[in-house]
Amino acid sequence: MSRRTLILAFVVGAAAIVVSRYLWLPANDKAATDSLTLAFAGEATDMDPTKSAAGIDYYFISQIFEGLVRVDADGKFINWLAESWEVLEEDGKTIIDVRIRPNVKFHNGDPLTAHDFEFAFQRQRDPKISRWSHNQAMVERFEIIDDLHFRLHFNEPDVTYVSDYPVLRLWAIPKHYFQQVGDDGFARAPVGTGPWKFVSRKVNESLQLEAFADYWNQEHRPHVKHLTIKVIPEDLTRIGALKTGAVDWIDAVPPAMIQDVRRTPGITTASYVSPNNMFLQFNTHMPNSPFNDLRVRQAVAHAIDVDAIIKNVLFGQGERYTQIGSGGSGHDPTLLPYEYDPDKARALLREAGYPNGFDTPCYNLTTPREVNIKEVGEAMFAYLTAVGIRCKVVGLEYQAWLNIGRRGRNAPPEMDGVVSWMWGHGAGNDPGVAWTGHVHSFQPGAGFGSYSYTDDPLLDELIKAQRRTFDPEERAALLKRIARIKHEQLLGGLPTYRPYVTFAWRTDKVEFKPWPDAFWRSMQEIGIKSSEPASAQTTE
Amino acid sequence: MAGAIKLSIESFDHEYLMYLIKRILQGLLSIVGASIVIFVISRLSGDPIAMLLPVEAPPSLIEQTRRDMGLDRSYFEQYVIFARHAIGGDFGQSYRWQMPALELVMQRLPATIELALAALLFSVVIAVPFGVLSAVRRGSWIDRFGNVFAMLGQAMPGFWVGLLLVYFFAIQLNWLPAFGRGTFAQLIMPAIALGWYPVAAQTRVVRSAMLDVLDRDYIRVARALGVPENVVIWKYGLRNALVPLITIMGVYFASMLSGAFIIEVVFAWPGLGRTVVEAVFARDFPVVQAGVLITSILFVTSNLLVDLSYH
Repeated sequence: MSRRTLILAFVVGAAAIVVSRYLWLPANDKAATDSLTLAFAGEATDMDPTKSAAGIDYYFISQIFEGLVRVDADGKFINWLAESWEVLEEDGKTIIDVRIRPNVKFHNGDPLTAHDFEFAFQRQRDPKISRWSHNQAMVERFEIIDDLHFRLHFNEPDVTYVSDYPVLRLWAIPKHYFQQVGDDGFARAPVGTGPWKFVSRKVNESLQLEAFADYWNQEHRPHVKHLTIKVIPEDLTRIGALKTGAVDWIDAVPPAMIQDVRRTPGITTASYVSPNNMFLQFNTHMPNSPFNDLRVRQAVAHAIDVDAIIKNVLFGQGERYTQIGSGGSGHDPTLLPYEYDPDKARALLREAGYPNGFDTPCYNLTTPREVNIKEVGEAMFAYLTAVGIRCKVVGLEYQAWLNIGRRGRNAPPEMDGVVSWMWGHGAGNDPGVAWTGHVHSFQPGAGFGSYSYTDDPLLDELIKAQRRTFDPEERAALLKRIARIKHEQLLGGLPTYRPYVTFAWRTDKVEFKPWPDAFWRSMQEIGIKSSEPASAQTTE
Repeated sequence: MAGAIKLSIESFDHEYLMYLIKRILQGLLSIVGASIVIFVISRLSGDPIAMLLPVEAPPSLIEQTRRDMGLDRSYFEQYVIFARHAIGGDFGQSYRWQMPALELVMQRLPATIELALAALLFSVVIAVPFGVLSAVRRGSWIDRFGNVFAMLGQAMPGFWVGLLLVYFFAIQLNWLPAFGRGTFAQLIMPAIALGWYPVAAQTRVVRSAMLDVLDRDYIRVARALGVPENVVIWKYGLRNALVPLITIMGVYFASMLSGAFIIEVVFAWPGLGRTVVEAVFARDFPVVQAGVLITSILFVTSNLLVDLSYH
C-alpha cells in the first residue's frame, strides 16, 4: 500500500468514524418544557450515601436521599424523616428514641420503616462499607420498637450524633430494594425518599433526575419535572454556558468573575457562607518551636490583614469569623478578631526574644479545595514575612497537605511551622467534631487530636464534656468557654475567614430557594417561574 | 525465473513476518515496562487512604482500610496480584468511583479517541495544503503567512486557544456550544484547540519535505515531459513528501490520546485524559494503571502501524 493511499485511507477513515457517530445519533430532542439544566463544577464520586467520603459527594446524594433531621432554608434544625425524637437515659446509658414520619415512600413505592434505618445503620457501622463507620462507634445497638419507632442505645453519650451533619447520622436506605439489586445495582440505580428520583448518570458528564410525584413533603418541594445536572469544571466555560442559555443555573462563580456575571442582564447571583472555616495551625508540639510562646502566636494574629485579603484576593467573597461563625452553636459575638497591627506584631516578637524574627516553614495548600486558597495562603505568609516571621513557603497538593497535618504517622515530615488549614462539618457548622480533631490533645488510637498540636488539659476536659452534654444551652455555654480560651491563648490555630460560594441563574426562568445541605447545592425548592407544581403535571 | 520470483516473494513474506513478530514482542515489552513504571510511580506519589477516609478517621480505621485494600503488602506482591488479574482484564475496583477501573476507562476512551481523531483530521486537512502552498510559493505572502501561523501555533498553548474559542465563538458570538459532547457542533472547538499545535509542526514538515522533493531529478523530468504542474506537485511531489508526515502523525495521535486532558477540562469533554488526571490526584491507583496501560497499548499500536507502513 503506498504512503499516499495510507494517508488517504486514514483521512477518509477518521472522517467516517467522526461523522458517522453523529449521523447515527438520535436527533437532539428539543429541551423539555418542564425541565431545568444546572451546571456544577464538581461531581459526586458515589451515589450510595453509605460510601460517601467527602462533602462534594452530597452534591448529588442530597437530591435523592434524606435523613432524620436537617437544617432548613432559615438555618434552623427541623425534624425531617423523623416525626419526633428525644434523648433519654436508662440505667445510666443514653438512648435516642426516634419516631419516623408515617406515609413516606421510597422512589420505588416501598414504604419507609424502621427496618430501613436499621439496615442503613448496619451498613454505616461496617468499616468495609462505610468510610464513616467511626461515627457509629458509640452506638451499642439498634432496637426496633415497631415499623415507625426505633431506639439507638449508646455505650457512651455522644452529642456529635445529634449535632454533626447529617444529624442523627442515618440515611434512609431501602432495605428490600437494596437486597434485590445488590451493592452494584444500587450504585447504578439508587433509590431514596428525596424530592428527586434518579433517572440516569454519565460519569464526568451529567446526572438526570425527575421530580418524585409521591414526595412526602408537599410544602417544600421542587416545581419542575426534570432536572439535568451537567459537570463543567472550567470556570469560563461554565459561565459561558449560563450566558448563552445552554444551562439555567450554575454553582461556584469564581470571585474574579462575579462582577461581570452580576452585570449580565437576565442573570441573578446570590452568595452564601460556605461551611468551611479556614484557619492557620501552629506547630506547638515541638519543644523548640517559636510558636510555643503565646506572644509569637499573637504576633501572627496581628501580622495578617485578613480583611484586606478578603477584599483583594477573594474580591470580597468571604467573612471574618472568630472561633465559631454566626449561626453555629456556641457563637459568641463578643469575641472579636485580632486587629491588623504589624508594629504590635514586631513588638511582640521582640518581647518573645526574636528581635530579628525567625525562619519557619509555611505549608500552603495548592489544590483548590476552596476558591483561591493558594493565593490566600501566599498573601498570609507574605504578611508574616513582612513582620519578621520569614516564611519558607512549601506548596502542597491535597494528599501531601493532609499528610503533613496528620499526627501519629511516625513518618517525616512533621508539621514544623505553620500550615493553612480548614474545618467544616456541614450545614449546622457545629465545631464539636472538628475540635475533637484539631484542638484536643493527640491521643494515639483513641480518636482524639488526629490533627492537633495543642496539649492543654483544661481544653481536653471541656471538649470531652461538651461531647457528653445533650442539653443545648449547657453545651453552648461549654462551646463558648472553649472558644474564649482558644481565642485568648490562640490554641488550636488562628481563625481567618469563611469563604462564600456564589451561584448564578437565569432570572426569567428559575425560581431557586437555597437550602444549606450539600454546601447550598440542595435542589429542595427549585422551579420554573410561573409553573405549576410537578405533581399537577400530566404524567407522560 | 518464476522460481526465483517465488523464492523472492517467500523470502520477503518471511522477512516481513519476522519483522512483525519482533515489533509485536517489542511492543509487549514496552507495555509491561510501562505497567511496572506506572505501578511504582503511583505508589510513590502517596497514600490513597488519606484521600478516601474523612479527616477525623481514627488510625485503627486507616490501618484496617489499608489491609482490606491490600495496600499493606509489599510492592512486589501487589504488582504480582495486579498483573495476574490484569491479564484477565481485571484492573481492580476504582477507589474513588467504586466501579471496575477498566469499565470506567473504556467508557471514557471512545470520547478521547473521537477527539484525537477529529483533531488530527483537522490538523492534516489544514497542514497539507498550507505546507504544499508554502513550498510551491516559497517567499510569497502565503509562505510568510504560513511561517507566522506555524510560529503562533507552537507558541500558543492549547488550553489558551480553547478558552479564546469559548470566549469568542460561544460567549460573544453564540455560534457554537461551549461544552459537552453529543453533537457535531460540540466537537468543533475542542478539535481545533487540540489540533492547533500539530497544525504548526505538520505544516513545517510538509513544507520542508516538499522543498526537498521539488528539487529532485524526477520532478524535473516530469516537468520536462510536459506533465501539468498541478499533477507534478500534488501527485508526484506530495506522495513522496508524505513520509515524514506519516511519522509525525503517528506520534501526535498518540500524544493527543494522553495529552487531551486540559482540552477535556476546558470543554467538559468526558474523555479519558480528565479521568486519569483526576485519578492521579486522588491516588486512585486502579484507574491510573488501567488508563495508562490502555493508552500505552494504543500508543504502541499506533507506532507499529506507522512503522509497518514503511515496509
